Amino acid sequence: MKSKTIHLDEDQLIWSVVDENDLAPAVRNHLSSCPVCQERKRHFEQELNNLGNMTKAFSPLPREKPVPVVQIFRNWLRPAFVSGFALVLLIMGIWWSSPFPVSQENRMTQAVGEMEDDSQLVVEIRVVEEYALPDLYMDIAGESYGYFGDEFLEFVVPLEENQIRSTGSARPVRLIHLIS
Amino acid sequence: MADSKYQQVSELVDKARHGNRNSTDQLVMLFHEDIFRMVYYRTRSRMDAEDLTQEIFMQMIKSLPGLKKTSRFKSWLFRIALNRIKDFYRKKSILNFFGTSTEVDESYQEISQNDDDPIDKLMRKEFWEQFRQFTEGLPRWEREVFILRFADHLGIREIAETLKKNESTVKTHLYRALKKFRQTPGLHDLLKGGVP
Ligand SMILES: [Zn+2]
Repeated sequence: MKSKTIHLDEDQLIWSVVDENDLAPAVRNHLSSCPVCQERKRHFEQELNNLGNMTKAFSPLPREKPVPVVQIFRNWLRPAFVSGFALVLLIMGIWWSSPFPVSQENRMTQAVGEMEDDSQLVVEIRVVEEYALPDLYMDIAGESYGYFGDEFLEFVVPLEENQIRSTGSARPVRLIHLIS
Repeated sequence: MADSKYQQVSELVDKARHGNRNSTDQLVMLFHEDIFRMVYYRTRSRMDAEDLTQEIFMQMIKSLPGLKKTSRFKSWLFRIALNRIKDFYRKKSILNFFGTSTEVDESYQEISQNDDDPIDKLMRKEFWEQFRQFTEGLPRWEREVFILRFADHLGIREIAETLKKNESTVKTHLYRALKKFRQTPGLHDLLKGGVP
């Protein structure tokens, strides 16, 4: 009889909300048969339910619906691809315009090599200019392409001092014509 | 009802972790609002909550193949979320230290539902203020357990799995938090009326 009048104290009431099974058997028995304590517990739980409902009701909703997985990865991959491409371009840029001493040496070596190639090419061009035909053909022709006799050159390009200038005329007159 | 939902989630998780994109999408749809809200309760900013929610689901998708017990998916997801929120605050405190943070304490201000109703607006503001005061006055674990239990609606076992603590520790934290809640008249009184 007495046990029915001893209601749950504050701590027991809180424990009943945390987990009723953790109450001592006697207290649990009292709770299961006491409408007063049941009402106190129900009231407390209702408050906590209200807390949950209010946090939910007073929260905003996300402005956007969840993005499908495929879209998420597409969104993630696109900037990743662009960043990767930009990185490749950056590395190429650094490679071509690298200011470091090691690559300066490389560039010097490269320049020397190019100069050697150029001078070799010039020599080859000169050879081709002067000996356009192979030696065999030059032997057949009986002359050397690299050599013209002074007489022949004087005929084609007369020297200045051999020219006679007529008075009042700037036009040169060839000596050879005057003789003839 | 709850059992069938757990069963449905377990089946989706099992398919999703084997690469089924449709199941992954369904899981995201199922938990999107819950995760958004749990982040919002802890950041008080809709924008941050949206960004973090997106990141949490990205993390979920990446880590899903490594999840061993499909029945623990919900607590596993909440654990990812809590870790992400912790990172968010860590980053924020570093930015604050260097004075480069653009932090604005939004204090639960940007809400869209019934935003035109001044009484509703006032009540909402009052509620969040009381909620903030109460939860921030609690020690860390008590606060986390209290919010997980009554705002995020996780059970004791789920909270224990989320926080990697044993159930009796969780109950002790919850008991202490509830004891303080009973002694806090502001929030206590506000809740008597419930949702208007
Ligand atoms: Zn009683």
